[in-house]
Amino acid sequence: MPVYERGYRHWENSGKKAAPAWWAIARRGIAEPIKSRRLLFLLVIAWVPAIVKGGILYFTFKMGELSRLLGGDWTDVTSAGFHAFLMWQAPFVLIILAIIGANLITKDREDNGLALYFSRPLGLKDYVAGKGAIIMTYYFAVTLFPLYALCIFGYLVTNGATGMEMLIEIPLRGTLYCMLAGTSYALVLLAISSLSTRTAFSVMWWVLLVAGTDALAEIIALFDARLAIMSFPGQFLNGGTLIFGADPNLEGVAPAVSLGMVILYGAAGWLILRRRIRPVEVVS
Amino acid sequence: MTNDTAIASPTAAGSIEVRDLTFAYGRDPVLKDVTFKLDKCAIGLLGPNGSGKTTLLRALLGHLKGASGNIDVLGCDMTVKPHAARKRIGWMPERGGILPDMSGVGMVAYLGELSGMPTTDALQRSHEVLNYVGLADERYRKADTYSQGMRQRLKLAQALVHDPDWLFLDEPTSGLDPSGRVSLLELVRDLARAKGFGVILSTHLLADVREVCEEILVLRKGVLLDHGRVEIDTNGEHEVFIVEGFGDETAFADQLAAAGIPAERQERLWEIAVPRDVGAHRILEAAAATDYALRRLEAKTETLEDLFFRLVDDRSVTPDEGGE
Repeated sequence: MPVYERGYRHWENSGKKAAPAWWAIARRGIAEPIKSRRLLFLLVIAWVPAIVKGGILYFTFKMGELSRLLGGDWTDVTSAGFHAFLMWQAPFVLIILAIIGANLITKDREDNGLALYFSRPLGLKDYVAGKGAIIMTYYFAVTLFPLYALCIFGYLVTNGATGMEMLIEIPLRGTLYCMLAGTSYALVLLAISSLSTRTAFSVMWWVLLVAGTDALAEIIALFDARLAIMSFPGQFLNGGTLIFGADPNLEGVAPAVSLGMVILYGAAGWLILRRRIRPVEVVS
Repeated sequence: MTNDTAIASPTAAGSIEVRDLTFAYGRDPVLKDVTFKLDKCAIGLLGPNGSGKTTLLRALLGHLKGASGNIDVLGCDMTVKPHAARKRIGWMPERGGILPDMSGVGMVAYLGELSGMPTTDALQRSHEVLNYVGLADERYRKADTYSQGMRQRLKLAQALVHDPDWLFLDEPTSGLDPSGRVSLLELVRDLARAKGFGVILSTHLLADVREVCEEILVLRKGVLLDHGRVEIDTNGEHEVFIVEGFGDETAFADQLAAAGIPAERQERLWEIAVPRDVGAHRILEAAAATDYALRRLEAKTETLEDLFFRLVDDRSVTPDEGGE
C-alpha cells in the first residue's frame, strides 16, 4: 500500500501520567520471564523450604518439645532461625538470578540495544535501576516474600513467639538484610552481565563467582580460617548474622567485615557498570 | 515532567546548531571544528566510510563525552542536558537496534514508554506507526525473526513512535534490496516533505540523498566540507559548455580568448565558461569565424556526484586540514 494511502497522524498526548523510565524497564523485565513455565516451576520449588518450615512450625506447636529436638533450625522461631532459612535459599538464589539476570545487559549489548535505550531521555541510573529492580524482585521472590509468609504463618500457629517478634522485628531484619544483599547481588550480577556479549559467558562468570569462590574458600579455610573471606556468598550470609543477631557463619571473619565486603561488592559492581554501559554502537 | 509541552506539540519548529565541534577518540581526531546550523528540513549527511557521520549523529544525541564546542539541539545544550531534546528526537541506528524476545508492537510500545509516553498512548501509537511503515500484518511476530527490510522499517517505527520533531537516520537503506530501498526512501521522503519532520539522513549513498534531501552536509575525515542545497546552483555568473569539434584548435581558442572567454582543453573536449547573459552565442561566433566545425555543444550541469567527488577528492583536502 502506498504511503499516501496509509497516512500518518501526529501523536495527541492523552494527558495520562507517564511511568518513569526505570519502572517501564523493570515492569517489562519482571513480567516477561514469568511466561516461562520452567521458571514458574523453579519458583514454586524455591518455596518448598518455606512450606516445609511452615509445616514443621505447625507440628512443633502440636507435638511440643519432641519435634523441636528433631527439627533443629527448622523449628527455630527466633530471628536466627529465619536467618538459617535464608541460608537454605542460597542455591535457589544462585540458579534463579543466573536465569533472570545474567543476560539482562548482555542481550542489550549483543543486539546493540543500548543505542536504542540511550537515544531516549534516560540515563545510566534509570537503566541500572530498572534492570536492578528486575533482579531484586526475583531475589525477593525466593527470600523475602517467603520469609514474610513464614512470619505471618508462624505468628498464627506457634505460641513460642510474640506478635512483636514475628510481625515486626523479624520482617524488619529480613527486609534490611534482603534490601542490602539484593542491591549488592543486583549490581554485581549486572556488572557481570555487562562484561560480555554472550549469555553463556555471563552465566559462567556468575556461577564461578558464587559457587566457585564458595567451594574454594571451603578448602583453603581448612588451612587458615580467615581465608573464608574469599567466599562471595559466604560474606552475605555471615554479614547477615549481624543483622539477624545470629552466631557468625564463618569462623575467621567478623560479621561486620563481611557486611563491609557486601557493600564493597555493590560499589565495585556500580563502578564497572559506569565504565561498561555506554551508549555507543557495537562496531563489528 | 518539564517537557510534556514540548512532546505535546511535536510540530513546533526547532533548529540544530553546532559550533566549533571537535572530538577525538584518544589521539585520533574524528570531528574537527565542525560548525553548521540546520533548520527543519531533510538534510543528507554525506561522506565516505569513516568520515565521522555516525560520530556527528551521536554528538547531536548528546552521547559524546569530552567533545569541545557547542551542540544546541532544539534549544537544549546537548553536552549538559540532553534528555529534554531526546524526547523530540527519533534515532534509527545503523547496526542492531532490535530488542530480542519482543514482538514488533511490544518493542515499539516499550521504547515509546521509555520516551516518556503513557503506557496506553505508547501501545496505541505503536500500532499506528507500524501500520504506517507497512508492518501491520507482522506486528505480533518476534522482532528478531524479521527480515532485513522489516527490521529497517521496525527501526523507523521505533524512531517515530513518540512523534519527534527530528529523525536521525543512520544508513537506513543499508543491506536492503532495491525494492526495499525504494519503499523505505518513499517513507522517509513522505515524512520529510509531507509530514513536517526534520530529517538527518546519514549515508554514503548519493542516490538516497538525491531522492529525499533538500540540503547536504559533506564530511570528510571529520572536516565539514560543504553545507548547502542539494540542487546545484544554476544562477552563477558563468555557464559552462562542453564543446567538441574539428578544425584549427588554436585559432578557435585564440578567437575565444580575444572575446574574453577562457577555454580549457580536456583531452578531446573544450570546457568553456561564458558569461550567463551571453550564453552559447559567442562560442558559435568563434567557431564560424575560424571554420571550426562543431560536433557537440552542450551545457555542463554539475551533479550531486560531481560535487561530492570534487569535495572529497583526496587532492582537494589534506588530512590535517582543519576547516571548511
